[in-house]
Amino acid sequence: MNDKELRSWLEQATLGDESAFQLVYEATHQDVYRTVAFLVYDKQDVEDIVNEVYMRMWRSFHQYDANRPFRFWLHGITIHLVQDWKRKAWRRIRLFERNRQMACEPFNWTDKAFLQSEMQHELFGLVRQLSYKLRVVVILRYFHDYDLEEIADILQIPVGTVKSRHHRALHELRKRIEMTGGNEYVY
Amino acid sequence: MSIDQELREELRQVADSMHCPPDLYGRVQQSYQQYVNEKRGRSPMKKRLLAGIAAVAILIPSAVFASSYLADEIFGSVKTIEQHGGSQESYQEIEGMLQTAKSKLSEAEFKEFMELFKEMVQLKLKMTDEKGIKLEEKLTQEEKQRFEQLVSKLAPFFEKINGNAKP
Repeated sequence: MNDKELRSWLEQATLGDESAFQLVYEATHQDVYRTVAFLVYDKQDVEDIVNEVYMRMWRSFHQYDANRPFRFWLHGITIHLVQDWKRKAWRRIRLFERNRQMACEPFNWTDKAFLQSEMQHELFGLVRQLSYKLRVVVILRYFHDYDLEEIADILQIPVGTVKSRHHRALHELRKRIEMTGGNEYVY
Repeated sequence: MSIDQELREELRQVADSMHCPPDLYGRVQQSYQQYVNEKRGRSPMKKRLLAGIAAVAILIPSAVFASSYLADEIFGSVKTIEQHGGSQESYQEIEGMLQTAKSKLSEAEFKEFMELFKEMVQLKLKMTDEKGIKLEEKLTQEEKQRFEQLVSKLAPFFEKINGNAKP
């Protein structure tokens, strides 16, 4: 499906057409879910954020610039809400508690499929260990294939900052690969 | 394989194994229903418009004024509107809006605007009782539709008038 179709469905959905809502959800939910799940690890939080993304979609549809790709707009909303969630202080307290729990029971917060893929995918395991600021750049760059300017636009930070974070992320990953003994893709 | 390619490949594979839980749909749908209920057929655009029109039309005026008033063209004689619960103030407000319209719009636009506005006001009068209370059921289905049509036709004019008047 193309942007134009999605846009008109979304418009219908904002006017109250439920079948249009279903189509929009069908077309976008996996992408939204995966993006959020790459950035936020608590399953409950991921679902909260995905729900928020859709609410924001209806409410800010009038701000959508038709000249830009739909998914760019969608990812902008998604990232924005993930960052919002990160900013909320009470969440941080929960995160702190969670981290403490993690120390005792390393994987009780992640769902099974995730855990499995982490074991099969060593590199992904390392990505998950990166700090959020570095990780979000890696996800946008390598999962969504955005260039650095677009990432700067989505994150609303200068391109120079994106460049340095991108560089640092790859540097960290290479360092950790070396530490874990693998060296096949160091350079 | 370079680390770039490796990352791409691996993220794609991991993503393929992640599935949005099906029960999340129910929740998002609920939020959507809530959103639709809140809106109840009124887009923000319409709301703004109706607010603009409310300033003019809900307070149907009833004061006596000299006949050079533009508002007289819309309401005809004062007696027609006396029974609809307006005040002198609101009459002047409408007059002000019409004067602004005259200066902001081109001659042709103003003429069209006046015609549409007049028709809209006629319907508005029809559904407003002597205390200025709005009773939509006084209109027939056709009239209601026409009213909606007029409202949306008038929208661009009001945008121009209000937009320029209050930058």
